[in-house]
Amino acid sequence: MAQPDFSKKKALLIEDMAEARIMQRKMLTDFGFTSIDIAMKAETAIELLRNRTFDVILSDYNLGNGKDGQQLLEEVRHSKLIPNTATYLMVTAETSIEMVMGAIEYQPDGYITKPFSQAVLQRRLSKLLETKEKLYDVNVALDSNNYEEAITAAKRVIKKHPSLIGKCERVIGESLLEIKEYKKALSLFNNTLKSRKMPWALFGKAKSYFFMGELEKAEQNFRQLMFDNRFFVSAYDWLAKIQVAQGKPEEAQATLVEAIGRSPKNILRQIELGKISLSLNDPVTAEMAYRRAVFLAKYSCYNTAEVYLKHLESLARIADSGPLLPRQKDNFESTLKKVHESFFDDMENKAKSYSYEIDVYLAEKDTLTSKQIFEVWLSEAASGSATPPTKKQSSAYSNAFGG
Amino acid sequence: MKKLNISTILASAIHESKNQVGTLLYQLQGLKDTTDSNDPNQSKIILIEESLKKLNDEWVEYLYLYRLASNGYDLHVDTFSIDEFLDDQVFALQPSANAKNLVLDYHCDTNLTGTFDERLMTAVVSTAVYNAFRFAKSKIILSAKQEKEFLVISIEDDGKGFVHIEEQPEDIFEVNTGLGLYFAELSASAHVVNEVCGFIKKESSLSLGGASLTVYLPQASEELFVEHY
Repeated sequence: MAQPDFSKKKALLIEDMAEARIMQRKMLTDFGFTSIDIAMKAETAIELLRNRTFDVILSDYNLGNGKDGQQLLEEVRHSKLIPNTATYLMVTAETSIEMVMGAIEYQPDGYITKPFSQAVLQRRLSKLLETKEKLYDVNVALDSNNYEEAITAAKRVIKKHPSLIGKCERVIGESLLEIKEYKKALSLFNNTLKSRKMPWALFGKAKSYFFMGELEKAEQNFRQLMFDNRFFVSAYDWLAKIQVAQGKPEEAQATLVEAIGRSPKNILRQIELGKISLSLNDPVTAEMAYRRAVFLAKYSCYNTAEVYLKHLESLARIADSGPLLPRQKDNFESTLKKVHESFFDDMENKAKSYSYEIDVYLAEKDTLTSKQIFEVWLSEAASGSATPPTKKQSSAYSNAFGG
Repeated sequence: MKKLNISTILASAIHESKNQVGTLLYQLQGLKDTTDSNDPNQSKIILIEESLKKLNDEWVEYLYLYRLASNGYDLHVDTFSIDEFLDDQVFALQPSANAKNLVLDYHCDTNLTGTFDERLMTAVVSTAVYNAFRFAKSKIILSAKQEKEFLVISIEDDGKGFVHIEEQPEDIFEVNTGLGLYFAELSASAHVVNEVCGFIKKESSLSLGGASLTVYLPQASEELFVEHY
């Protein structure tokens, strides 16, 4: 096997335990890597991945208290923070490997089980890079969202390297879903399932049915996936989507609550639960979900104004039925502060947070404070730095102030 | 006090111990790096290292065995180049073979591919090879081929063979051997395609004269990559 030239590759090593970190860094140096960045936790890794590009990412599954290696992988792959051409190698223990294998939707390019020798790591990395090289055209096409080209390239790779058929079929199937060729995708996934019971193929089949609007068949397949793979929590998210589409938001909410019980650190799932709960007039559940989302957002790729504003909104809706408890008020102030710090240069964001603030103070019958806030809002609206209140808002507030 | 399941307790105890072996291996690696290669202690370090690796592999086997026997194992199959798979196994076990002055090699058609759970089969092959280390006179050969609807992986040695082992019930390793075979059997039968189960055969090696453990893994009928999308 030809040894790849590691010296030109940029590596990111993510490992929280000092001993293992020193050891792995030494191994990488011995292989010839000259550029090795280090992160001790997922949050630091995200910062690094935002600002630089890496060819090889070696991440431990276990990363202490924050996100684990799988959550990090899901987040950076979902938000396309790392290109498909980069190699992600997960370091796992015997117990965590099931979580990684069971994730199905976002899998690392490879994994290596502790303990491993230098020789084994070198060989594993070399092979992974070799495979990435073979799939280079496919991954470049995927990175530029050119799915037709990805399909063509994947078919070429199958002819040239038959052992990569599994990876290529998956790329073709998922690309067909991207270009909305659901029937073709379904027939490909079914064909794969005929010969191999691959979880990704069953996942693809279920998604195809979902997009084709065959919700019952989709549900049946997602339930099968959940049954086969105890660690595939994403199936719950899809099940919730189906239930929403079927007009059963209460069931969707229950499904998401169960999923969160299994895996509470997924921010998108928390946001979804918050959204559904608000639509069900259940601000208490919504507040809990958005509060967790706010906590998770800080070092994630989903650090958007919406998460914070929705948290404020759910507290304002709680306030509709009476003043906030001191603990809830503290949460409101703390999230409001974050909006002021990071998202207050947007007119719409300003208008929303002013209105929630007024709601909260009105619930406390603190007309004076809410009036002051409203006046600030009006003057900012006049100077064009905030979206003006709607007519409905203005009349509702005038009523409340006048009363 | 709530009564706990003893096999669950043992499995987690094994897991704890396995982690400690991992730490020891890391520390030993450090010691090896700082010891001169001509140092007489170097060979002792390698011996300890190989023993710890074997211990680690055995505990992995026991953990999988526990999960297979308690239905807690999610099978994850994928398609592999068999040439690469066997090459990986030989690569991982070569240092142990060298330490015992045994030849370890493999042969198969370079175009052969197969679908199976890589982790399980890695554990099965290493268990079989460690076992063969005890009986082989000079060499152990891994091989693979497609036989009808099965991928067939064999581990053969030039030792006395299974018959002789079975004639010595006092053999202190007997219990261990039985466990390894049981593990291989459970792993093979966990592979199911169209209601056809995998299985193992223990035979005499035709080419080497010693023992031969053969694992049969069911494969889907040869179907070309259909271009209907």
